[in-house]
Amino acid sequence: MTPELPIVVLAVALPFAVAGATPLLFRALGERTGYAGAVVAVTCFGLLGTQYGSEGAVHLTWIPSLEISLRFYVDGWALLFALLASGIGALVFLYSSAYMHGESGLARYYAALLAFMGSIVGIALAADLIAIFLFWELTSLCSFVLIGHYTADDSSQYASRMAMLVTVGGGLFLLVGFLLLALVAGDALGPASAFDLAAMLENPDEMQTALRDEGLFLPVLGLLAIGAGTKSAQVPLHFWLPNAMAAPTPVSAFLHSATMVKVGVYFVGRVRPLFASLEWLVLFVTLGLTTMTVCAILAVASTDIKELLAYSTASHLGLIMAGFGFTSVLGAETGVFHLFNHALFKAALFLVAGIVAHEAGTRRLEDLGGLRHDLPITAVITVIVALSMAGIPPFSGFYSKELLFEAAVEASHVHDIGVLGWLYPAVAVFGSVFTVLYSLRFLSLFFGGRPDALEHVHRPSFALLAPPALLAVLTAIVSVDPEIAVHAIVQGGVDATAVDTHEMHVGLPTSYSPAVGMSAVTIGSGFLAYPFYGRIHGGIRAIQRTRPSLSANWWYDAVVGNLTGSGVWLASRVHNGLLRTYATWTLGTTCALALAGFAATATIVPAELVDIDAPAAIALVLLVAVMAGIAVVLSTSHIAGILTLSILGFMIAIFYILASAPDLALTQLVVETLVLVIFLLVIEEIPEYYEVGLGRVARDAALSVAVGATAFVTVLVTTDARPDGRTAIARYYAERAVPEGGGTNIVNVTLVDFRGFDTLGELVVVALAAISILTLIMMREGGEDE
Amino acid sequence: MTTVIMRTTARAVVPIIFVVAASLFVEGHNLPGGGFIAGVLTTTAFAIIYLAFGLDFLERGVLGRDVDLGKETSRDRVVVAYRRLFEYGLAIAVTSGIVPLLFDRPFLTQTFVEFEDVPIYHHVEIASALAFDFGVFCVVVGGLLTILSVVGAE
Repeated sequence: MTPELPIVVLAVALPFAVAGATPLLFRALGERTGYAGAVVAVTCFGLLGTQYGSEGAVHLTWIPSLEISLRFYVDGWALLFALLASGIGALVFLYSSAYMHGESGLARYYAALLAFMGSIVGIALAADLIAIFLFWELTSLCSFVLIGHYTADDSSQYASRMAMLVTVGGGLFLLVGFLLLALVAGDALGPASAFDLAAMLENPDEMQTALRDEGLFLPVLGLLAIGAGTKSAQVPLHFWLPNAMAAPTPVSAFLHSATMVKVGVYFVGRVRPLFASLEWLVLFVTLGLTTMTVCAILAVASTDIKELLAYSTASHLGLIMAGFGFTSVLGAETGVFHLFNHALFKAALFLVAGIVAHEAGTRRLEDLGGLRHDLPITAVITVIVALSMAGIPPFSGFYSKELLFEAAVEASHVHDIGVLGWLYPAVAVFGSVFTVLYSLRFLSLFFGGRPDALEHVHRPSFALLAPPALLAVLTAIVSVDPEIAVHAIVQGGVDATAVDTHEMHVGLPTSYSPAVGMSAVTIGSGFLAYPFYGRIHGGIRAIQRTRPSLSANWWYDAVVGNLTGSGVWLASRVHNGLLRTYATWTLGTTCALALAGFAATATIVPAELVDIDAPAAIALVLLVAVMAGIAVVLSTSHIAGILTLSILGFMIAIFYILASAPDLALTQLVVETLVLVIFLLVIEEIPEYYEVGLGRVARDAALSVAVGATAFVTVLVTTDARPDGRTAIARYYAERAVPEGGGTNIVNVTLVDFRGFDTLGELVVVALAAISILTLIMMREGGEDE
Repeated sequence: MTTVIMRTTARAVVPIIFVVAASLFVEGHNLPGGGFIAGVLTTTAFAIIYLAFGLDFLERGVLGRDVDLGKETSRDRVVVAYRRLFEYGLAIAVTSGIVPLLFDRPFLTQTFVEFEDVPIYHHVEIASALAFDFGVFCVVVGGLLTILSVVGAE
């Protein structure tokens, strides 16, 4: 069954449309806008649900001349991700309406959240590289607004700027990767498929061969990995994700569990069939396992419940990334199934963290404990989802982690990866031990003694409790019978991301296998080490304190701080409000660029410069012009300077006449006259004489010489490239001027008949110049009035 | 600048400039000249009047308008007329480009007709480009004079 274009387009466009109408909606509904958002999300979910089971590409024409269209591709993988985004989105909207009660800036909040959801659904379904990039950067922009929701809070601003810098920066790498990919696809599959990801995914072997033939395989792979890695917070760019917890908790739940940070791994899964190879495996498994381990360790070191969950998210993203890295079908199963499981349990955990923070009034791990008496339902929810996160059997996270272990063990059978064959499983186990540790720590919020400092904890309202409860129920269902989830949606995702198809089965192990042993070691070590949690926590924090340069955040601060410093330093020199400074920099840069360009392309041949062949009359006129130029500099009064300058101009007009360009000469003459008159007009306003330092004289002289040399060389080079006799264009105009334009003055006929549109453009320029001068002067007068 | 020599010279030179500008404009299609050159030359003539007699004379003596001496130049006086000139010029140029669309030709298409045996002139050629060129002329004169008078008033 092929997908239906109107439904797909509506599902993507609806959130954006409502986001645009949010200010009006908010005026009418007030804080109930959250429910409206939930309705939109549910509608999207329903619309996408009708496409369940369909597969194929549909498209709208967008920029036909560039072969770019708004193309959507629907299959199991796209639906899985889009349904997660809209489904969890609905819960987040419901939760927000209770959690954000009484906050300011809610209209902006809901508008950004809706647009955010729309962009994620867009990425999930888009199959055109340009459309993907567009939605990709839209998610960065929306998250910038959402993370920086508390505009008065410095840490919130800092975090949103950081998220923006990292993810948008990564997006630019992605763009370059896309362009290279489009270049290769245009060659391999025909120009119509240049930006068509769906076409590329249909011919993965041709694409991979073409990429390798053109030597672009590794560059494209690297660029896409940087883009996906920054978005999905992979080491060493993982630091923005924990900082993003400055956002309101519902946003964190959405951002960290179902949406933006998953976009990177989603995309890795999407292009997996195109690139699956040994290089792919080494790159993504190494990246993923490193992220998984480093972030799990950092999660153990955190002191704030949201910080713990944020690092844990980065760690799980590493796991998914590593899963997709393994080229066997087990790898695809790991990635898809864990993405699904993680979205369910991590969204629930963030919502629980929000409840705890909201009702207990603190997020510090040390100040919380024994909450099961105050929040019994929340405690039950947490048990299910936290044990799932830890990967304890029979909870859902166990199955996908088991798949990772199997894939890691099997990797050495598929490819010859030498020492990595046992290093990967070892690292996977090592990182997972920390996962068990921090999951138990989060669970301990509800057990053990209740700190005396903790005040009375309120019961959460229904709207706060229902969303995590629903997610916990879903997690429980997947835990009891994972095959339900596999049949419903995961198998479809695996088919789309795997290189070869395979019917997927998961369940509790019934016999011994290496993966079962690894799970046993992981869980056993985790439980054994848990009594020493305090010491491990303290040890990692001590290392962080004594060696700050180990942290990526420290490097970010150093780089951004230095850039800001250099920016301020440079701005005070380039952008200081003095016209002469601007002129100096503009002219200097232009000269440097032009001369460097000529030098780089080796168009200047010094030997040819000597061979000058000019009639005596022209030489004489130009000599007078040169003398006048020197006289301008030497003149003692402004009037004399202007008059000598006009001599220069008139000499050039004569030169044009000698070179048979009467129209040009006429223009030069009248413009020169007008300039002379204008100069005479303003001359009285200029100070008679002012002191100029020797340094500035030298600088100005050097600049003048450079400008003159550039102009000279440019004229020489550009006119030298002209073929002998008239060019085709010149002949065209000369032959057609009389029959088609009816005039014998080719210059004028060209201006008004053949190139009328250019002339119209120039008219607009003249008009704009007049208007801007008028505006400038009026603005100044207005300023003086105030 | 308002010396006697300047004024006397201006009196003689300005009409000549206008005539030359007009001829340059009309002849532009076949001989050196055209809307742009004629426009700049006309502006020069205005600038000379301005230099020799001042802005007020230009208003009262040449354009025949009542001048409210206290008012600011840029808002209420000559500039409004200049500004209108380049607005109209732009409108003329664009309209002359749109007209061909009515005859199902591309934007800015130009044509011409020739008349033989006209008294005195014998051979006259009217090009539709003249309308466009007139737009150019108006924009150049209006634009440059706006700049000149606004800056000059400072």
